[in-house]
Amino acid sequence: MDIAFRIPKPAAVEVRDLQVQLGGTPVLRGVNLRIEAGRMVALIGPNGSGKTTLLRCLLGLQVPHSGSVRLLQEGPPNPSLLRRIGYVPQRLQLDPSFMLTVREFLAIRRPVTATWFWRPSRQIDEQLHSAVAEMDVTRLLDRPVAGLSGGQLQRVLICSSLLNEPELLLLDEPTAGVDTPGEADFYELIAEVHRRRGLTVVLVSHDLSMVYRHASRVYALNGVICCEGAPEEVMNAESLKQAYGIHFTPYHHHHHHPHSHGGHGH
Amino acid sequence: MDIEPFMLRALLTALFLGPLCGFIGVFVTARRMSFFSDTVAHAALAGVALGFWLGLPDPTLPMILFSLLIAGLILWLKERTALLNDTIMALLLSGSVALGMVILSLLRGHRGELDRYLFGDILSVGWGDAVLAFIVLVSVGSILFWKLNALALLTAHADLAHVSGIPVRWLNYGFVALLTVTVALSIRLLGIILVTSLVVIPPAAARNLARSLRQQILMSLFLGLIGAVGGVAISYPLNLPSGPCITLTLAGLFVLSLFGGRLQRPIRNLS
Repeated sequence: MDIAFRIPKPAAVEVRDLQVQLGGTPVLRGVNLRIEAGRMVALIGPNGSGKTTLLRCLLGLQVPHSGSVRLLQEGPPNPSLLRRIGYVPQRLQLDPSFMLTVREFLAIRRPVTATWFWRPSRQIDEQLHSAVAEMDVTRLLDRPVAGLSGGQLQRVLICSSLLNEPELLLLDEPTAGVDTPGEADFYELIAEVHRRRGLTVVLVSHDLSMVYRHASRVYALNGVICCEGAPEEVMNAESLKQAYGIHFTPYHHHHHHPHSHGGHGH
Repeated sequence: MDIEPFMLRALLTALFLGPLCGFIGVFVTARRMSFFSDTVAHAALAGVALGFWLGLPDPTLPMILFSLLIAGLILWLKERTALLNDTIMALLLSGSVALGMVILSLLRGHRGELDRYLFGDILSVGWGDAVLAFIVLVSVGSILFWKLNALALLTAHADLAHVSGIPVRWLNYGFVALLTVTVALSIRLLGIILVTSLVVIPPAAARNLARSLRQQILMSLFLGLIGAVGGVAISYPLNLPSGPCITLTLAGLFVLSLFGGRLQRPIRNLS
């Protein structure tokens, strides 16, 4: 109800009638999306719903057939605009034969030449200090990136994306490689970054159960945005149940929550 | 002790190309491009044959150009077709070797030269090759250092590199071109069949010893230098082709690195 009286904030992400076909199959069939600046939102959808394609469009990795993407009120993704965006991929394609340490991984994010190669690590640490402390990765700095656990890697990836002081943070399935107990802490950490820095956070996930506790708004995608709203509204919406094809249960085994249904709908 | 001029040329060429192959190899192994390196090396055989056919006194230039052509074809087919990388490379590798063999057979007189291109021959290294190796070391080495951040990020995650403002596609083309020139030039020392060992073994051995990318690069440079110069140095008194000598030296260094690496804690069990 209060939404009607609120003055809308500027949009961090604005997508209009976005259409994408991959191999002749329509994946996005006219997506309209407006994400207000400063919010922490979730973009959810089952596998094959076009989440990844939409994310790739936002990052300029996929050219849409029609429609438009506008980021940070400026325009479609371009190199200078992308520098103001933090992207956190699911995992790295890193081969264990590559001995990149966490400190080196953080240092290579700078566009300049590899000055870290000749500098003592103390100097690099000073430059990296605030983001490293914020994400609590100090103890990991000398570890090879290829040997990190899923949760550690996610913290390092977020830390590296924060180095550019982004205004918008896009996280792709952020807890895909994180164990279940670590998941709750992980979302707390992102929520903390969101509160402290006041940036826009978009969580892209197929799993609503954890996301909805922290997101202030949820967008459910299935070729189009089939419903959007506050997490409680979206979860109970008829259209979402149709989109997922099953009764959606936000049940999570070690958290007691009023929305838990206690069983799976089959 | 006097050094024969041909020995000096070969040692200098090894001194220039060994560290360069070690350096570029760190990214070749991490980007799983060993087979790519092998393919462009084999393509050089067709280049050699074409060089003879055209009556050129020195086949270095056609070797490099034909390898670049095949490298370009790999990228082009990868972008334009649904074929797997492995399939494309196996196709072009066998195709260029077949083409090279047919031309060499038709030319007859050059069949005897086949061995020196397959297994390397220090006698075939001319002053032109040594000078070219130096130019390639300085230019390719500086470009690699200049683009080290971008290359390392591309190796870690291509999309992340794109979002960080790196022109991923051009960087990839550039890397492929630098690798191809380096490999084609190193064929003089190692031969077509064994040239990939100088690109793959030093970074693999360095990985067993290093605790960071910086250490891996520096150690790989050093091991490439020891392997190439050492291999050339022992090939002459033993009267053996230089390629197998370099590769066996590198293999020995790799075995030593396994023992050195055992002293360090393995990283895999942490994941």
